[in-house]
Amino acid sequence: MAVREEMAPASSWRWRDAVDGDRSMRAKAVILALVALYVLLFLFSLGSGASDTSFWDAAVAWLGGGSEALSLRDRVVINDIRLPRIVLGTLVGASLAVSGAVMQGLFRNPLADPGIVGVSSGAGLGAITIIVLGGTVLAPVIGVLGIYALPLAAFFGGLASTLLLYRVATRRGQTSVATMLLAGIALGALAGALSGILVFVADDQELRDLTFWGLGSLAGATWAKIWAAGPFILAGLLVTPFLARGLDAMVLGEATANHLGVRVQRVKNTAIVTVAAATGASVAVSGGIGFVGIVVPHLLRLTIGPEHRYLLPASALLGASLLLVADAISRVVVAPAELPIGIVTAAIGAPFFLWILLRQRGLLDL
Amino acid sequence: MSIEVSNLGVRVGRKQILSDVALCAKPGEVTAIVGPNGSGKTTFLKAISGDLPFTGMVRINGASLHGMKPWEAAGHRAVLPQASALSFPYKVREVVKLGLLSGRSGTTRAEQERLPEIALERVDLGGFSGRFYQELSGGEQQRVQLARVLCQVWRPVLDGQPRYLLLDEPVSSLDIKHQLIIMDIAAQFAAAGGGVLAVLHDLNLTARFADRVAMMHRGKLVATGTPAEVFNDTLISDVFECRIQVGVPPMGALPYILPQSAQL
Repeated sequence: MAVREEMAPASSWRWRDAVDGDRSMRAKAVILALVALYVLLFLFSLGSGASDTSFWDAAVAWLGGGSEALSLRDRVVINDIRLPRIVLGTLVGASLAVSGAVMQGLFRNPLADPGIVGVSSGAGLGAITIIVLGGTVLAPVIGVLGIYALPLAAFFGGLASTLLLYRVATRRGQTSVATMLLAGIALGALAGALSGILVFVADDQELRDLTFWGLGSLAGATWAKIWAAGPFILAGLLVTPFLARGLDAMVLGEATANHLGVRVQRVKNTAIVTVAAATGASVAVSGGIGFVGIVVPHLLRLTIGPEHRYLLPASALLGASLLLVADAISRVVVAPAELPIGIVTAAIGAPFFLWILLRQRGLLDL
Repeated sequence: MSIEVSNLGVRVGRKQILSDVALCAKPGEVTAIVGPNGSGKTTFLKAISGDLPFTGMVRINGASLHGMKPWEAAGHRAVLPQASALSFPYKVREVVKLGLLSGRSGTTRAEQERLPEIALERVDLGGFSGRFYQELSGGEQQRVQLARVLCQVWRPVLDGQPRYLLLDEPVSSLDIKHQLIIMDIAAQFAAAGGGVLAVLHDLNLTARFADRVAMMHRGKLVATGTPAEVFNDTLISDVFECRIQVGVPPMGALPYILPQSAQL
């Protein structure tokens, strides 16, 4: 019986798995490294900004040792400006990256991303409805729901578009990549048109709100926003570990997942609600921050492989880190003004998306 | 203890694809389903696998498939589909490991660490663990999937209950050596007390490896029995709609069918 020789890696620095084809040790190492990276970025972000409050002051304040040692101004800068911004960036980055990874698992292709296939547009439509009509027609709703009106509306907008997309793109348990992308374009256009009508009736102040919201920004981060969106995002993130096994089984199609003993319908429902909650809440608080959901999982699959029990936590960490970096860039390039962060992520992400398309043309089978 | 099918019907849209199929796949036997293209073989296997809604009754070891939870079914049987495409860069080992997902392989945790390699060795893919699934040939991918399926029901008998392999054209894209290896795996699984139900196209392989043959024609089961009973000139010629002479060597050896002796 002839056993084929594995091609030896050309360079010796490459990671060698203890058992050939078992990337779990590598995945654990990468996750540890990502935790370290995130902590560094967290501290860096805490110590950098428009005011001269330094890293050491920040570290002192963070450790709680001498909050008296800090001036009132520094305390405000750290506790009420930088910290909420970092927390919001972390939540949004993690939720966008994890939503991307979950959607890609659900649709079984690496091009699914909430921003690209219209889920963010749907969530955006929900958010815009609240922003524009919140003061008039929907005032009673706002009265009942309070700060949760915006994330809830975005959640239902995202849920509706995800469900519709799944219905259109999936036939008998197999998803067509081309149909999904095209349906995503149509959905995005429809949500855009409806949003346009709302923008048309908006007054000047609402228009300003809408414009900055739509560009995607962490600039307006406040603890109030975090309390409103955080529960949705955290709920979404905490559910994902339970999805990992089901999503792994689904890579071979829904029928095979069923043969392997997975309750496919339940996994699908959970995944769709999770994506809608995490994306919706992110869109509600930060607007259209695109491409995080496609760049992060794709990079990770190249290094640690596609197994979801490692991919999902690693995506959360790298997504959070990426957003902190993008936020730092957005504050630096046109200082003292700020670039909306959505511009930064799109500038990084769009070429990356094209690169994936070029490398994997076969995926589209067009 | 068997897979019992009675009065099975499958309807897709307005078309009745299968009607009134009755079959019993016993443990200890390789049961082959043969028939021309479009005769309903794959639909039959899909219905038993739980992929399609059906009328009638399917029982696995006495329990009705209706109302059986996915994880219960996964402990009773493993299914090899005709083709499996993957759009993520999974390594061969990671694909094979999916078979362990249901947790009913019947092996210990320590054994499970090495099971993917053992299963790959079994399908003649030793040393392929670290390769990317997408870079393999069609025949190699098919064998990787079989290794995954074997992992799911590694012990042919678990807790006193026989388990089953449902294979849809397991050897369709394989060379002759690997056809023999795969059919031998099926035969050994049966010999160890498990049951095998396989859709096969090659009548000669069927004659050699199948204990029982179920022949389908236009959505119905037209004959069941041993290969020697089912493979006769009239039946084969009728079902496959061309004139075929079955070669029957003396002394009870296996029947064979040569394309050279067939005519349209």
